[in-house]
Amino acid sequence: MTSMTTSALLRRPVLRLRRMPKLDRAAFAMVGLLLLTVAFGPLLAPYDPYHVDLGQAMLPPGAEHWLGTDSSGRDVLSRVLYGARPTILGSLCAVGLSALIGVTVASLAALAPRWVDDAIMRICDIALSLPIMVMALGISVALGPSLRSAIIAMVLSWWPSFTRLARAEIRTTMTSTYVESAVITGVSRWRLMTRHVLPNSLDSVYVQVTLEIGGATLIMAGLSFIGAGAQPPSAEWGAMVESGSRFLTSAWWTAVVPGAVITLTALAFALAGDALRARTSGREVM
Amino acid sequence: MDRRLTRYLLRRLWLVVLAVWGLATLVFFMIKAIPGDEAQSAAGITATPEQVEVVRERLGLNLPLWGQYLAYLGRLLHGDLGSSIFTFRPVTADLGGALPATVELVAAAVLLNLLIGVPVGMLAAAYERRRPDAAIRLGAIAGGALPLFWLGLILQHLFGARLGILPISGTQSMGMEAPRVTGMATVDSLLAGDLMGWWDAVQHLVLPAVTLSVPFIAFAVRLVRTSMITALEADHVVMARAKGASPLRVMLQHGLRTCLGPIVTLIGMQTGWMIGAAVLIEGVFGRPGVGAYLTEAVQQKDTFAVLGVVLFTGVTVTLVNLAVDLVQLVSDPRVRAAQLGASPLGAKA
Repeated sequence: MTSMTTSALLRRPVLRLRRMPKLDRAAFAMVGLLLLTVAFGPLLAPYDPYHVDLGQAMLPPGAEHWLGTDSSGRDVLSRVLYGARPTILGSLCAVGLSALIGVTVASLAALAPRWVDDAIMRICDIALSLPIMVMALGISVALGPSLRSAIIAMVLSWWPSFTRLARAEIRTTMTSTYVESAVITGVSRWRLMTRHVLPNSLDSVYVQVTLEIGGATLIMAGLSFIGAGAQPPSAEWGAMVESGSRFLTSAWWTAVVPGAVITLTALAFALAGDALRARTSGREVM
Repeated sequence: MDRRLTRYLLRRLWLVVLAVWGLATLVFFMIKAIPGDEAQSAAGITATPEQVEVVRERLGLNLPLWGQYLAYLGRLLHGDLGSSIFTFRPVTADLGGALPATVELVAAAVLLNLLIGVPVGMLAAAYERRRPDAAIRLGAIAGGALPLFWLGLILQHLFGARLGILPISGTQSMGMEAPRVTGMATVDSLLAGDLMGWWDAVQHLVLPAVTLSVPFIAFAVRLVRTSMITALEADHVVMARAKGASPLRVMLQHGLRTCLGPIVTLIGMQTGWMIGAAVLIEGVFGRPGVGAYLTEAVQQKDTFAVLGVVLFTGVTVTLVNLAVDLVQLVSDPRVRAAQLGASPLGAKA
């Protein structure tokens, strides 16, 4: 496969899709399906995800409730469909904001004097020395546990890795001759960055964003699982696993179904990110 | 060479001090960000107004912000992370009690990672772009996509509750507890010469360690594969092949040796991530470690305990990174050359 930039790939999606390996196609299809669920999930849900009916509690999967009901008699399928929003949209926000901040900081570092660049890198080191889970728990205590705190925590600990990535790419682009000639013709620093450097430096950032969304879903769900993210009775997938975990012996589906959905989501984004990376770098990378 | 080494070490130590100071500052502002009266939360919800005033005085909360900041740094220098409002003990004491269980778990997971991740990654590299490689790649991606807490619950249910072949939770069975020396059940029972107790402790360790290691093995496999493939393309490997070295010898002697650097770095990085991931696992398996302590503290809104653990973890990761860099420096002539500017062969460059 010839080398192909992500932006070019995005411009001609159909053409690319036809030449794609089956597994990659399945991954992109799955990602599309998940995004549709985020958009229209609540419309598709057969029941109200918050409607408690103890008479219908812990019904196994069947014709009435395709994925069964949980310990409060709420329909698991409906809750999974509703849960796509907090889990996936939350992760998208977290990763998207991190990438935005990371690229902005990296661009500023590239234009600023050397000592600013050094200082920014030291700050990145410090932020990266805190595991996201631990940082998030600190934030959730400081701001109170909620979906919002979880997103803030993820952004706080994630932006430095995007800064590092974008900084490395920007530095490589800055050495190319066309940037040099642009500098000589006297374009402003703002224009140099936005028109000449960034468009040619961001491919690996796009790939990284796709790859990280899967990981972000896992962290988001994990935070809700230990009570630092979305709070019950919210239909967030990690929180659903937590409340279902007490009934594994009597009603396995209440914990297994949301966990399986988390796995599928993470898998789909990981495969899609890998496919994108293979295409942008022109060779299969593992 | 010696002067360069000293300068490098001093620079690294300075960066560590800088990082620890940065972490402390971050945690200080986290405390400040908490809504409500800090003295009240430090003294506990049940404290009388007089007690709250005493705490306010002791923590220096009557001072202006920069004074509070200096007082906070001063307390940290004395190893004072504040007290838990839940256990009524200093956070450092609680941490000391919880640390061994986490160290034991992380060490076991790192061991599994080395025993499984490295060979499987090498296998994938040996079969590059053939069937086994593709299968391993898929397995690695899938392993990285599993939510740890969910995997833990399912393994616990399958092997513990359903099949009954492994204990469900805790670090040792009732009545099997070894006298506490290190706090690590597997080590303590060996020290006590109790083989039955050791086997019992190992059985308790299996499920949490396997669960914790899965995503890390998945990551290690991919890293080892990639760096192994690069290493096998090197001239000296082609040379070894041409001279008729056996494939196994090429992999181990010529390939693996050049990959040891990235592997050591990876193990160092993963130690930090594992402390984070242990937060998810320890609660599920009822292991009284740092992660379980942190989760408990979050649920009890035990501010100083949580932020104590945050600071502690950050410092630990910083120190582990330093240790990794030093190991690289000692073991890899190429790193020595890059960092100290010395020729890899030891001669004057």
